[in-house]
Amino acid sequence: MPFFMDPDKLVTLEQAATRVSDGDVVALGGGLSARLPMALVRELIRQGRRDLHLVGSAHGIDVDLLVAAGAVSICEESYVGFEQDLGLAPSYRRAAEGGDFRIAESCCITILTQLRAAEAGVPFLPVRGVKGSDIRSLHPEYAEITCPFTGELLIAVPALSPDVALIHASLGDRRGNLHFDKPYVLDERFASASKLVVATVERLASTEEVSDAGITVPAHLVAAVAEAPFGAHPTSCYPDYAYDRNHLREYVAAAATGKGATEYLERFVIGAQTEEGYRKLLGEESLDRLRGWKTSTQAWKELFA
Amino acid sequence: MTLATGAGDGTFTFTIDEWFVVTLARTIKDTEAVFHGFGSPCAQVAMHVARHTHARDMLLVEGATYAVNPEPIFIPPTGNDLALQHRAAYQLRFEEFFDAAIRGDIDRMFLSGGQIDAWGNTNVTAVGPIDRPKVKLGGGGGGCNLAATIRHLTLWTTRHRSGRTLVEECDFVTDMGHRMKDGTRKELGFTGGGPEWLVTELGVFDFPDGRARLLQIFPDVTLDQVRDATGFAFDVAVGLKQVSPPSRAELAVIRSIDPLGVRGQEFSAAELQRVFEHGPGTGCAC
Repeated sequence: MPFFMDPDKLVTLEQAATRVSDGDVVALGGGLSARLPMALVRELIRQGRRDLHLVGSAHGIDVDLLVAAGAVSICEESYVGFEQDLGLAPSYRRAAEGGDFRIAESCCITILTQLRAAEAGVPFLPVRGVKGSDIRSLHPEYAEITCPFTGELLIAVPALSPDVALIHASLGDRRGNLHFDKPYVLDERFASASKLVVATVERLASTEEVSDAGITVPAHLVAAVAEAPFGAHPTSCYPDYAYDRNHLREYVAAAATGKGATEYLERFVIGAQTEEGYRKLLGEESLDRLRGWKTSTQAWKELFA
Repeated sequence: MTLATGAGDGTFTFTIDEWFVVTLARTIKDTEAVFHGFGSPCAQVAMHVARHTHARDMLLVEGATYAVNPEPIFIPPTGNDLALQHRAAYQLRFEEFFDAAIRGDIDRMFLSGGQIDAWGNTNVTAVGPIDRPKVKLGGGGGGCNLAATIRHLTLWTTRHRSGRTLVEECDFVTDMGHRMKDGTRKELGFTGGGPEWLVTELGVFDFPDGRARLLQIFPDVTLDQVRDATGFAFDVAVGLKQVSPPSRAELAVIRSIDPLGVRGQEFSAAELQRVFEHGPGTGCAC
């Protein structure tokens, strides 16, 4: 929300992750298995961040890894999972069933409305739905309000200004201008509603290049930017690479038990030590395969077969 | 593309996933603006079938890319993928789509649930008590607002036969049907019409007076089997009909748009063994 005027916000990934504090309300950018801020997620786990309150729309392995690492105390996402393909999110499910975090499941539209209230600097906005849904019972902070003009009973939802939004972009410059392709999901709203945007980019570029590609999130909203190639892996970051379905499938299978989830974290997050170490573990060949989606329809299909 | 054909006498075969998708597609009317949630391959494929057969002037909005009228190269196993944006006339922003939906400009949405009750309430949040769930499901996405304002809902499940899906009462109501603990849609001031259809792998229900009524049944399913699998009492329409079989044109669209068979992920392996034959003497499927 405040503007960040520093002309050079380039930091290391380690420094970027320190902008997130224990107990923060954290907005995760991207959606489902696309453009999730995974490099930052992994670094937050390496740094042992705790007690996070996650907010957002439909997510997957970002939330599941943070939950597996014991970093989450409240989850206010609208969905966490791997769709019909790989099913329920194993660590999220296990922790929810064990009462390890507070289930504050929300709705894409409610979160959107709350962010818009924060962007406009008003204390709340109304929604027409939610009434009759048990989702309401998970949110004692919602209130009923009667429209002064029509008499309609609506649900007032409070402004939501996340402490920090984590966004992964295709391109960015040192000032923090970001470019990425649609779907933006909630990223534009997160950027202007949050107190702080911490970004990672596939590739650092000149302001001219980012501007020519089209600025999706402007520099004045961004507090820190770090370069992180394959920073969305194992989710996609088009046009650079498709999602790594094999890796996701292996993760979901491994995380079926708490022990398996811990082993995954020890190997791919803690043990890898850095993102460079992570990419080395994955291997150049497997990363090339993901980049190869554009070589032919057949190559693209094979990534999903 | 080839269609499985029988003895060259016009006979062709198809499987339950294909018949199911076609049944979903036929709930779409031409010129409707239609949306599916993510993680819904059957509904996703059904929308493309409708747009390439009987509903050519519909507005098709992809569930997680918000692409308008795309021609996907193929249906990938995740709903947020570039393959689904191919040749899209336009890509809505997240908020453009949700604004249209809550002000009432979206005609139809497909919704499913781990539990569905007789009033069309659905549960995608948790089985068992919410503070200590037996199974924590994925969650509702935009459903608990969308269900209030989208004009018509087509509900579906491919897990009716399990006996655990169609229940007397949902453990948790994520998305609202026709009647909730707090009142009816009218009493709650909802502007949308609520569930219009419930399509399952056993048959098709409609909602006269807001409660599910069995309208059609698949030919390899008996009424007793439907009753045994359903946790609530339901009326049966006078002159219970068989579900209309798919046409060659509809099957051709399915097989061309979903070569990876993503739609099959929604069915148990046993259900996918259900194969049907259409040929002379079984009526027109045009």
